[in-house]
Amino acid sequence: MRQALELEKGTIMTADRPVLSASGLTKEYGQAAARVHAVKDVSLQVMRGESVAIVGQSGCGKSSLLYLLGGLERPTLGSLQLAGERLEDLSEARLARLRRRALGFVFQDFHLVEELTALENVELPALLAGASPRRARDRAHELLEQVGLSNRSTHLPSALSGGQRQRVAVARALANEPLVVLADEPTGNLDSAATTDVLRLFEQLHATGQTLVIVTHDERVAATADRLITMRDGEFVDETRLTGGVARTLSALTGLEA
Amino acid sequence: MGRLLLINRLVTGDIKRHRGQSVLLLVMILATTTALSLGLALRHVSENPFARTRAATKGPDVVAQLGYAPGSARPSPKQFAPLLHAKGVSATAGPFPVAPASLTTKGISVPVQAEGRDSDASAVDQPVVTSGHWLSAGGVVLERGLADALGLHVGDPVHLGNLSPTVSGIAVSTQQPFYPAATPGLVWVTRADAQRLASAAAQPLGYLLDIKLAAGVSENAFYATVDAFGAATRGEPSLVEPWQQIRTSDYRVIGLDRKVLLFGSTLLSLLALASIAVLVTGRMSEQTRRVGLLKAVGATPSLVALVLLAENLALALVAAILGIVAGDLLTPVLASPGHGLLGNPNAPTLTVPAIAIVIVVAATVAAASTLSPAIRGARTSTLGALHNPANPPRRRARVIAISAALPVPLLLGLRLIARRTRRTVLTAASLMVAVAMVVAALTVQHDLHVTAQRHVAGSFFVATADTATANHVLVIISVMMVILAAGSTTFTAWATVIDAQRSTALARALGATPQQITAGLTTAQLLPGLAAAFMGIPVGLLLYQLAGGNLSEAHPPLLSLLAVIPGTLIAIALLTVVPARVGAQRSIADVLRVG
Repeated sequence: MRQALELEKGTIMTADRPVLSASGLTKEYGQAAARVHAVKDVSLQVMRGESVAIVGQSGCGKSSLLYLLGGLERPTLGSLQLAGERLEDLSEARLARLRRRALGFVFQDFHLVEELTALENVELPALLAGASPRRARDRAHELLEQVGLSNRSTHLPSALSGGQRQRVAVARALANEPLVVLADEPTGNLDSAATTDVLRLFEQLHATGQTLVIVTHDERVAATADRLITMRDGEFVDETRLTGGVARTLSALTGLEA
Repeated sequence: MGRLLLINRLVTGDIKRHRGQSVLLLVMILATTTALSLGLALRHVSENPFARTRAATKGPDVVAQLGYAPGSARPSPKQFAPLLHAKGVSATAGPFPVAPASLTTKGISVPVQAEGRDSDASAVDQPVVTSGHWLSAGGVVLERGLADALGLHVGDPVHLGNLSPTVSGIAVSTQQPFYPAATPGLVWVTRADAQRLASAAAQPLGYLLDIKLAAGVSENAFYATVDAFGAATRGEPSLVEPWQQIRTSDYRVIGLDRKVLLFGSTLLSLLALASIAVLVTGRMSEQTRRVGLLKAVGATPSLVALVLLAENLALALVAAILGIVAGDLLTPVLASPGHGLLGNPNAPTLTVPAIAIVIVVAATVAAASTLSPAIRGARTSTLGALHNPANPPRRRARVIAISAALPVPLLLGLRLIARRTRRTVLTAASLMVAVAMVVAALTVQHDLHVTAQRHVAGSFFVATADTATANHVLVIISVMMVILAAGSTTFTAWATVIDAQRSTALARALGATPQQITAGLTTAQLLPGLAAAFMGIPVGLLLYQLAGGNLSEAHPPLLSLLAVIPGTLIAIALLTVVPARVGAQRSIADVLRVG
C-alpha cells in the first residue's frame, strides 16, 4: 500500500524527506472574548521511519495538534503536507481517501466498534478502502498475530482487557499499511502491565521502520521515540533528539523553560 | 420555589439549546396526536348515520307507495284508508302526490320522482335541509345523494320535466334509500308542481304515505297492516317498505365509505402508535446522556427525573392541544358523508373520552421518554450515563459477514440497520402502512376510472357516487398517513444520525468519505423502505378488497403499482439526505473527543 502510494504520487519517501510536515499550524476555537488558541504557530517535520513523541500537560494542545496532523480537523492558519499532498487544498472526500491510505490512528479511548469482534474491527479500514473481504480478513489475521491476539480474534471488545483493546486498536491502525501512525495517549487508559505491552508493541513497530507520532504524557512512552517535543499553551517549547541526533532546545529561542 | 425555578431554568435552557430537536419532537407528537384524535373522531362521527338521520328527520317506520301502470286503475289517496286507521299506527304524513319526471342539467338527464310537499313541516318525515331552504314557488329541493352525484348546488338552474326551477335547497331523508341506493332519484316540489309534471307526462299521479308505528308494535300487527293495504290496492303497483329495508339499501352504498373510515381510522391510530414508539426509542440515547450531564453537575436522581418529565410533558401537552384542535378541524372534511345521510350535525366531533385518550397518550410519550433514561441514570454511574448508549447496539454476525462483501455505503447501511433492529422494524411497519394506504387509494381511483369508462351517461352517476366519497376519504387519510410516515422517517433519520455519530466519525477517521457516510445513513433508511414498499402493495390491495372493492373487476395496472416502489424510495431518500449530510459533516475530532 505504502509503495503504491509513493509510486502514485511520484514521490519517493526517503529518510531526508519529510513524510509529514506542518508549517505555522494554528488552531483557534470560539470567537471574540471566548477565543481559545489550542495550537499556536507550530511547525514540524516528520521523517520516514521516525518516531516523534509530543509531550505536555493536559490541555496544552497536543491532542488538537494530532487531530490537525491527521486531517481530522482543519487548521485556522498554516499549511500541512502529507505524502506530498497539501491537506488544506483537499476536499473532505479526498482528505478521507488520503487518510485511508496514509494514516493510522490509535486513540486513548480505543474507539473500537463494540458490536464487532477484534478481527472485524481490524479488517474494517481495509474494507472501507475497498479491499476484497478475503484480503481484508487475511491481513486482519496477520495483524492480530503480530500484536499477539490471534487467540482473541472472535472476542468482542467488551470481553477484552484494556491492554488487549489497545493492541486491537494498534492492529487496526496498521490495516492499510499507513505511512504514519498517529497515537493519542495510547497508554492513557491502561494499567502498568498493559502499558508495558503496548510500549513493546510500539517499539516493535518502530524497529520495522513504521513512522510514528505519539502524543503522550507518559515518560516511558516518550522515551521510546527518536525525538521528543514538549508543548505548552499550544506552542512547541522544547525539542530533544533522543537517538543519534543532537538535542536542540527551543527554550533557548523562546525564553521559556521546558 | 427555588427548586421550581431551577427546573424551569433547566427546561427552558435545554429547549432553547436544542431548538431544532425540540421543534422536531413537537411536530412529531403533533402529527401523532392529530392522527390519533382524527382516528377517534372519525369512528365517533361515522357511527350509525342512518339512525342519526332518521331521528333528525322524524323518519317513517313504514313507507307505503301506490303507483300507476298502464292498464291498471288510476291510483287514489283513498286507497291508503286501511293504513291510516290500522292497529299500531301512531301517526302518518301524506298521502303525498308523486310524479315521474326527468331532471336535466349540464346536458345530462336522470329519471326522478317528484314528490309534492307542503311548505309546512310534516309530523313524519320532514327532510332536513342541509343547504338552502325548504320549498318555495319556482324552486325544487334535491335529495343530497342526487345533488352530489350531479354536482348541483343551491341556486343552480335545472330542467324538471316541463318546468325550469332553480335548486332552492338540498335535503336528506330516510323516506327512501338515497341516490344511488335508490333510483330514480328523489326531488321535492310543491303539490301544484307535482300535478303539473304528471299532466305534462300524461300520467296519473302516484301517492306516498309515511307511517309512524306506535312503540312496541308487534310484527304480526305490522304484517296485518300490510295485508290490509294490499287488499285495498286492487292490483295497482304498490310498495310497503319498512325502515329496516331502507337502511339495508343505504348501507349497501355507504358500506364502502364506512369500511374505509373504519380501516383508515384504525390504521391511522396504529401508525400514530408506531410513530410514538419510534419517537420514544429515538430519544432514549440522547436523554440518557442528558441524565449523565445533570448528575455530573450535582442533580439528584429525583431532580433529574423531574427536569426530564417537565420538559417532555411541556412539549407533549402543547402538541396534544394543537393535535386535538387540528383533528377537530379536519374531521368534518372527512366525515361529511356526501351521501343522503347526515354525518353528525349536532354532536362534537371529539368527545371528552377521545380528548382524554389523546392527552393520556401524549403524557405517556412524555413519561416513557423520561422513565427509562431516569431509571437508567439513577442506576448507572454519571460517567456511564455520559458515555454509554441507552441501549447497547446489537451484534448480528451474519449481517456483518454479508456486508463485508458489499460496497461501502451498503456495508455501512446494513451494519447501522443491524445495530438497531427494533427501530428498523418499527420504521418499516409505519412506512408499510402508509404505502398500503397509497396503494388502496390508487386502486379506488382506478376503480372509478374504469367505472366511468364502462357506464354511459346517466347511469354513470350511479356508479361514481358509490365510490366517490370512499375515494375522497381514502385520499385524505392517505395524505395524513404519508405526512405521519414522512415525519417518522425524518425523525428516525435524525435519531440514527445521532445514535451512529460516534461510529460514523470513527469510520471517517478510518477513511470513509462523507459521501459514503451520507449514502450509508440513507441506505439505512432506504432498505426498510424498500421492504415496506414491497409489502405495502399487496397489503394495500388486500385493504381495498376488505373494504368492499372487487379486485377481479378492477385493479390498477402493474406498472403504476410498481411505480410505488421507486416513488417510496425517492421520498425516503429526500427526507433522509439532509440529516444524513449533516451527520456526515460533523467534526470528527469533536465527536471522538466527547467519546
